[in-house]
Order: sequence, then structure tokens, then C-alpha cells
Amino acid sequence: MIDAELEPTVTPLSAEVPALEVRGLVKHYPGVKALDGVDLVVRQNEVLGLAGENGAGKSTLLKALVGLVRPDAGEIWVRGKKVRLKSVVDAADHGIGMVFQEQSLVPNLTAAENIVLGSEGPGVRRGMYRWKTMRNLAQQQLDKIGSDIDPLARTDTLTFAERQMVEIAKVLRIEQRTQFAPVIILDEPTSVLESKEIETLFTQVRRLREFASVVFVSHRLDEVLDVCDRVTVLRGGESVGEVAAAGAVPGDLHRMMIGSTGSDDHYHGNASQRSGEPLRPMLEVRGLSGKTFRDVDLDVHAGEIVGIVGVHGSGREDVCRALFGAEPTTAGEVSLDGTVLELSGTRAACAAGIGYVPAERKIEGMVGPMSVADNMTLTKQKSRCNGPLIAPKKQATLVDGWIERLSIRTPHRGTAIQRLSGGNQQKVVLARWLVAGDIRLLLLDHPTRGLDIGARSEVYRLMRELANSGVATVLLADSLEEAIGMSDRILVMSDGRATKEVACPAGGKPTPLDLVKEMV
Amino acid sequence: MTSPVEDVEVVAARRPQPRRGVSLRDAGPPIALVVIFLVFSALSSDFRTIGNVQNIMDTAAVLAVVTCGITFVLMMGSIDLSAPGIMGASAIAVALLVANNRNDNDLGLIGILVAVLLAAALGCLSGLALVLLKVPSFMTTLGVSAVGLGVATLMFAGVQPNISDAMLKGWAVERFLGFAYLTWIAVGCVLLGYLVQRYSRLGRYAFAIGGAEEVLALSGVKVAPYKVAVFTLAGAFYGLAGVMVTSQLSAGLVQAGKGYDFAAITAAVVGGTLLTGGRGGILHSAVGVLLITALTNGLVQVGVSPYWQGGVQGLIVVAAVAAAVVPQRRRNQVTK
Amino acid sequence: MSTPVLATPAADPAVVSGGPTVGQRLTSFMPLIALVALLAALTIADPDFLTQRSLTAAVRTSAPLVVLAAGATLVVLCGGIDLSIAALCSLSTVFFAMWLPDLGGLTALAVVVAAGAIGAVQGLAHVLLRIPSFIVTLGGLSIFSSVALVISDAGPIRVVDRDATKWLTLYVGGVVPMAFFVAVLVVAAIALVLRLTPVQSWITATGFSESAARLAGTPVDRVKVAAFTVSGACAGLAAVMLVSRNFSGSPTMADNLLLPAVAAIVVGGTAITGGHGSIWRSLVGALVITLLRVGLPIVGVPSAWEQILYGAIIVAAVALTLDRSKVLIIK
Repeated sequence: MIDAELEPTVTPLSAEVPALEVRGLVKHYPGVKALDGVDLVVRQNEVLGLAGENGAGKSTLLKALVGLVRPDAGEIWVRGKKVRLKSVVDAADHGIGMVFQEQSLVPNLTAAENIVLGSEGPGVRRGMYRWKTMRNLAQQQLDKIGSDIDPLARTDTLTFAERQMVEIAKVLRIEQRTQFAPVIILDEPTSVLESKEIETLFTQVRRLREFASVVFVSHRLDEVLDVCDRVTVLRGGESVGEVAAAGAVPGDLHRMMIGSTGSDDHYHGNASQRSGEPLRPMLEVRGLSGKTFRDVDLDVHAGEIVGIVGVHGSGREDVCRALFGAEPTTAGEVSLDGTVLELSGTRAACAAGIGYVPAERKIEGMVGPMSVADNMTLTKQKSRCNGPLIAPKKQATLVDGWIERLSIRTPHRGTAIQRLSGGNQQKVVLARWLVAGDIRLLLLDHPTRGLDIGARSEVYRLMRELANSGVATVLLADSLEEAIGMSDRILVMSDGRATKEVACPAGGKPTPLDLVKEMV
Repeated sequence: MTSPVEDVEVVAARRPQPRRGVSLRDAGPPIALVVIFLVFSALSSDFRTIGNVQNIMDTAAVLAVVTCGITFVLMMGSIDLSAPGIMGASAIAVALLVANNRNDNDLGLIGILVAVLLAAALGCLSGLALVLLKVPSFMTTLGVSAVGLGVATLMFAGVQPNISDAMLKGWAVERFLGFAYLTWIAVGCVLLGYLVQRYSRLGRYAFAIGGAEEVLALSGVKVAPYKVAVFTLAGAFYGLAGVMVTSQLSAGLVQAGKGYDFAAITAAVVGGTLLTGGRGGILHSAVGVLLITALTNGLVQVGVSPYWQGGVQGLIVVAAVAAAVVPQRRRNQVTK
Repeated sequence: MSTPVLATPAADPAVVSGGPTVGQRLTSFMPLIALVALLAALTIADPDFLTQRSLTAAVRTSAPLVVLAAGATLVVLCGGIDLSIAALCSLSTVFFAMWLPDLGGLTALAVVVAAGAIGAVQGLAHVLLRIPSFIVTLGGLSIFSSVALVISDAGPIRVVDRDATKWLTLYVGGVVPMAFFVAVLVVAAIALVLRLTPVQSWITATGFSESAARLAGTPVDRVKVAAFTVSGACAGLAAVMLVSRNFSGSPTMADNLLLPAVAAIVVGGTAITGGHGSIWRSLVGALVITLLRVGLPIVGVPSAWEQILYGAIIVAAVALTLDRSKVLIIK
């Protein structure tokens, strides 16, 4: 048995049959079409790149390929046979394995155990471990990718790059199930690696091509072109094109990723409604440092919208939370309207007139079973109280007023917020910061995530109106398009540092490509 | 203490930095144990006698067996409050199954086996409620503890069963190499527990469930059967502990397991097992048991009321958990 | 700030979905249905049960349980659990018996304040040290039991001066026992505070999603400490009621009330995951549990079954009320 494992037999297959093929895959989520007829072909022994903006449907597609998401329509073909993937195990049985973006290793087990986890084979006899066999099995896997990691080291003592090697070694175990060349999916494998580690990873990927097919997903387009043979581009849940990597430049990909830029109208323009003269600085950040970001400087003037852009792991979300006192800082000074802030916690931030709309609306933004009225007044309780007591009439007037002003569609102010549609929920969460009329700085973390186009447009309009009334806004946009469309200025962050500031006035907007250059 | 992989036979590591050393976290509890021994030896001449060391070991026996069971549950990141109920049920059951003053049963070892099986079944019940009804373990085990106490009360039926079985009675009094048989049983349990934890898939998966349960599912491992098995195993350990209490008292008592749940959690936590799971192990817990027992014994020797025992444990557990949380503390962390 | 006005009405259709289903509505009335069903069943089993005398006796027994459950409900609503209530109640009976000779009429107040302060300490340990509430209160349980044993020398302390607790043995309007009246008063007072002040939304937000509550600037830590304080004070009040009935304080007097109290909370329909439930529900839950307790002997079930029933009820009720959307991995 062990000998058989040493030399996995790879059944030959006619070279024209694709290793993996996806036809017209569709997946709906409430209010959003995540996949809208995706087609994809992965040939044998090739590295296929997958590119697309956030929300283009990449992650849903990948999840469908490993059985974590069941598509509503469409077909998946593996080596010329139509399959239905119900679980990760199912996918593994068909030779499809994925290295997840958030690593999927058990930290307190040894590397060897992680590599064989769930498919121990001869490593376990009658429920008992045979450590030597286990170690040998793991060593074979590590040898395949030429890694010299000690199989018996605890996984949490390994570096990030080493753990990634372990993951690849683990995914390659599916060969033992299938007896033919596997398809390995790498989801954003480089996002947290140093450049030297990236080189090692690329060597591994090229090595994998000898006996497997690879799907490589990355935000960094130059890398995609560097390591892949072919690149498929997704946009809005559809595959919009395919590029041979040889001779292509990142710009080619990016043009396809963005497509035609949205009309300015969608973002409700900016300069036209603005008085034009420079306003006073509202937020001043100097040398702010924390766990995932260093030395960040940021200025936001009253009435200005400043977007922060950066790839996954750039630290922009943490900067945003730190400004709200929800993430610890190690150094730096933050002042609001000339007063230095303590950043001692969220309550102090609220009291200072800072508002924060979190990205995870359903978990962090709203309290689902509570009424619209309670959610809207959660932070600024004084606005509905007389002394310590809630004044029902005052509350009714206030809440109904805001429901009307923001056109929140709800049967009643007493309706539980979880029964509203996403866009209306988000408006209630935004209204929470407005009811007291003392908001000075608004931190918006992906405020339009998961909203359909109509609801997005309304949130944009609301942001615009708030800015016009003098509120300073920091925006972490869902897409580069949105950041460019909404912002007056854009700060680019990379690896925890603010690397570049790009002016973004109406009429003189940069292209997404200009920003991407700075982001990677 | 050993990290779980450390003493495996390994081919020479090809890397210069084998990262498998003994950490301070692992070394802390044994050092504390030695310190406690030295301090009380200095304070009390009664403490440092051979007789008292034997006494400590014998006292630790039952707690050690309970802790063996609870450690597996804690390793998964769950909690188990069912020890008092399960121990009570098995204590009464065994008293009624071996030679006793209530009925004509004289099943001997088979009686003990049946009692342990009953306990394992109760443990299994906690596990099933956890995985099938998705009720958090502290609630299912609280419920099962009540069920166990009820079963014990039903069997008790108002008349205390006194045992006359020579073998079971002998466990508590007869000695081998200076220690009571019960102590050797406890040592055996710790060894067995260590083997299970180190070499069985059940033990390693329990450890992994505490480390990253979702990863196991992603790797195609069905965790539910392993969870049920761990609670069953824990139940069996509590059952054996209940039998041991009956042996010590020569009688079956409904209250046989009173306070053992908390004492065992304390011992495990002090030994270095995290309540969040994924860290620690049987040997850690064994040190914790000795530490708690030596501390209790020492305090009594220097004249502190034995009633303070629970209070000391309460303070220790809160302090130990707080100390374990400190490095991971974050400002907006959610605590339930 | 000027008021932003959206010119165009929302194009977004009001997608209102997921209202409570018939089943959910039924579940939320389940405690009341159970209460009525139990009353009916007991009346059928023993026609004498539905008399003023036995009903008065039943609600009188339920008073300490109602108070204990009411206080602990607040902690559960915040998403935590208080396992120390029964031990703290026992300790408080010892306090009462020991302080009575010195403090006289003020003893009851002193005991409630002391128990409340002890509860606050637990709450502080929970929020400051970031220890899970069940482990803090499990530690508390152990510590309180041991303190009670030490200061009482492990035995009951007789209360000679019975005047101090006499008021609790009176009847309001000749039928409602004063102890029960006080218990309902406590429930009503807490419910009123929750309803009329922002505290209700703070507690619900904290219990439903602590991170959402914190990010909305809610005083999460203070709310939690307050909940533990009220829970402690209620344990103290329950102790006074117990002493008024037993004329003694004892270090283990209330220990067997922990399970009934937890059962009362979950039977009432308060979710153990926090954020959903109410204090009135716990009152109903406590009455259901009390009826079970006094009713079992009436229908001829040995009292040993009581424990088994508690165990089964707790697991079943938690399973029914659990908010599964919140916990993906059950530990």
C-alpha cells in the first residue's frame, strides 16, 4: 500500500479533453446575482489565471468548484464527465482541491497530520496513529513540491510561507483518491507573502504544472501574467474574455475587468454641488501605527470624501477601525476639528461625533431582531429621551422623520430591522449617526456591499448630501470604480503603509489603472 | 511537560532550527508543583513525611480519573459539568450490582463494568444532545448531570446500599508499593488517556477540533461522531471515578461526585489546558491534579479550614483563565 | 448639520420578508400554554388542587425561584450565564442569620446590597479580565459555597428573632402571599425600567451581537456589570425569602435552586444565546417549574424524577429557543 502511494499512477487522457470545464454557471443570492453564466476551461497541465474586481464573482465560482456552493444552474465537467459537487470531499474525489485564502490548517497539529488530514490511509490502523507511516506519507507529499519542512513540526511554529507549502502538499494528497492529475486552485496565494517567498511559490506552481492543472487567482495582475499560461477575466458574474499571458500587459487585463466606466450620474457627480472653496481640515492623522499598519498620514477636510484603496491585507480596514477606537494603536496622533483624540474606545469616538458603518452589516452593523426605531436611536439615545426615560412621542417624530427623509421602506418604525431589504437596513444604520445632528466624521467600510444597483445609488446620494452639509467622510469602497466615482481624493495603501495620494476632482478623475499601479 | 509530538522517533532534522522545544507555558505548572511542595515542606513538618506524600497521591486518585475524562472534552473547546450526576449514578449502580446489603447481586467485576457502561451511556447522551440538537455543551452537560442525579436517586430509593464485595472494598485499602490500588488505577487511567490522546485518531481529532473545527470539516472529516465519542469516553472515566468513590466509602452515595466537576476543570486549567480548546493534554492535567491536591493538603496541614478548598479552587481557576486570556486580549473582543 | 433630503423616492421595493411564522408565534406562547396545560392536568389528577388554599401555597413556594430566575434572566439576555445565583443565595441566608442580631430591621436591605455588590464583582471580573461568564460564575459558585461553609461552620444558624421577616409571611388582601407579591413587584420593576429607558435596547444589542453593540457605542461593559449586580441582589432577596420560611440560614440552603432557576429561564423562552426573551417569560417559567415540583407528587411520580425532568426540560427548552443563525460552531 505504501509503495503504491509512493508512485501515484496518472491515467493518460486524450490531451484535448479539458481537465475542468464550467458551462453557464449561475448563482443567485438574495438581491444579488453572484454568478451570471460563467464559462471557464482549464486545460490539462496548464496554469490558468482568474482575474476580476471584488464582487466579480471569483470567490463564488471557486466555492462552486470545490463543492462549498451549489450553483442554481449550469454545469461542471471534469475530464470530459459532467459532475455534481456536493462537498469538499466530493470535489476531492473528482481531483479538485483548493488552497484557501484564509489558510485551512489546524494550527495545533503537526504539518504531517495536516497534510494527511481526512485521508490518512495507512497512517491510521484500527483508529490508532502510526506516526512513522504518517511522517513518511507527509514526506512524500513535501518531496513532490521539493519542500524541506520538518513534517513533525507543529504547524503554528511554521512561517506563513511554509504553511502555504504545507497546504499545497495537503491539496496534492487528492491524487491518492483519484489516480489522475488533479486540478489545484490557489486563491490569492501571494497576498501576504514577501517577494522572496513569492518567487519560491512561483517555482512551485511551475513545478505543479508538470503533473497537475492549476487555477491561480490573484489581485496582482503582473503576477498573474508572470505565472499563468492563460487568463480568464470575470466581470459582474460573467466571464468577459480570455487573454494569452505571453505578450499581454496588466493594462489589457484591467481594461477587461472594468469594462466601460459607469456614468458619472450614478455617483451623483461632486464638484457641481459643491461651493468650491477649500474647507477647514476636519480629520488630521499623523504617523498612526498599529498591528497591521505603520505610519499612516491622512487629512480629510469638512465636506470632503476621501477614499482609501488597497488590496487584501493592505491594512485599510484596520486604519478605519482604529480611527473609531475599535482597534488598538501603538503610535500616532489623531485630531478632529483641531482637538486631539484619545482613541480610547468606541464610546469616546461616538461622543466626539465620529460615526462608523461596518462592512459586516448583519453581524456588526445592526441588531437584527430590534426594531427600526431602536436601531436608529441605539447610539444617540439622548435624541429620543427626556432625562433618563424614553419619550415615545419624541421618538416617533424623530424616527418617522428620518424614515421619510431617507425614504426608508418599512411597514412601521416598530418593524424588526432584519425584515427590511439590505438597502433599507443600511439606510437605518446610516441614520443612526445622523439623528443627533452632531456627526462630523463618517467612516464607511464597504457601505454598498451586497446592495443592488438601485440601493447603491441611493447610498451614494446620501453620502453626497452629507458631504455637502459639511461632514468629512472616509470611504473604503467596494470597487475601484466606486472609490474613484465618489471620492474627492484617494489614498493608496499597500502593506500597511500609505504609499500615494491621488487627487480625484470631478472632470480630472484618474483611471482605475493609475491606482492599480500604486496598489501592488 | 511534553508537547504532543516531541518524543516521537524522528530522523535527524535537516533544518537548523527544530522548533519543537519545551515552552515556558508547558514548564510552568510542574515548576509550580515543585515550588508548592518545597514551600509546604518548609512550613509544615507533617507535610514532608512519606506518609503524607502517599496520602496526597491516594487523595488525588479519584480527581485524576475525572480529570482524564474532562481533559478530552476541554481539548475540543467544549465544557463538561456532568461529572457529579454521572458519578452519582455509577456509584449507586455499582453498589447495587456487587455484593451489598440491599439485594442478592454479586456480580463483581461485571458489576463494575456495567456501572461504567451506564456512565458512558450518560456521557453519550450529552454528546448526542450537543451534535443533534446543537445545544451548547455547558447546557447539555448541566442537564445530563441532573438526569444522572435523578437516576441515582431513583436507584438509591431511600436506603443507602453498603457494599460487602471484598475486591471493591480492597481497592481502597490494599496497597502495592506503598500506594493504594485506587492510586494505581488512576495511574493506569492517566497512561491510557495519554495513549489515546497521543496515538488514537479520536484523541488527535479531539485536539484538532479544539484547534480549528471548521478546517476538519473542510478536509472532509465528519466531526460529530468524534464529539459524541469524546463525551462517551469522558462519561466512562467519570463512571470509573464513581466506582472508586464507592470503594472508598464502602457505600453508594448519590452525592459521590459532588464538586468533582469544578475540581477537575480547575486541575485541567491549572495544568495548562485552555478552555478555548486545542492546547494541553492528559499529562498537563495530571500535573494540575497533583498541584491542586498538594495545595489543598498543604493548606490543611498548616491549619487552614478544609472548607476553604472550594474557595481556593475558585480563585485559582479564575486567575488561571485570566492569565491564559491576557496575551490574546483585544479591545473590542467579544466575551460571552 | 443641514438635513439631507432625498428628492426621488426609493426605487427599491420594500422587500419585507421573514416575519414570524405560525410555528414561531406558537413557540413564543409555549410557556403560557404549558402553564395552563399543567394547571388543567393537575386539576384533573386532583380536583382539590384548583382551590385557593393550594394555589396560594404553590405561588408562595415559587417566590424565591421567581426572584432568582428574574435576576439571572438579565445576564442571559446579555448573552452570558450566571451559575453562581444559588450559591450566592445560600451565602446570603448565612449573612442574614449572622447579621440579624446586630442590624435588626436593616438586615434584609444589608443582605440585598451585599449580594448585589458581590454580583458586581463577578461582573467586573467578567468584563475586565475577559473571562467567559460561565467560568467566572462557576468560580464564584465554588468560592461562595466555601465562604458560607467557613463562616457558618458548616451548619445551619437558627434565626430567633422572627419579627424581622414576619412581613414576608403576611398576605396581601388575605390571599396573595406577601413573598410572591414582592417577587412580582421585583419583576414588574425591572420590566418597567427596561421598557421606559434605553437599557432594553442596550441589553438586546449586547446579547444579540456584542460587536454590533460596541461599534454602535453602546455601554456594553457597564450594562453587563449592571446585569450581574441585579442578578446578585436578586439572589440576596431570594435568600431573605428563604429565611422567612425556614427560620434559619444555612450554607447549602439554596443550592438545589440552581437547576430550577436555569430551567425557569429557558422554559420561559429566553434564548441562552442572548438577545431574545424577557423577564416576564421567566416569571411564567418559574411558575411552570413550581407547578411541576408540587404537581409530581400529586400525580404519583416519585420526586426523584424531578431531577431527570429538569435535565430533560433544560436541554429541550434550550434546543427550542436557541438562535441557530448566530452560532455556527457549537462547542
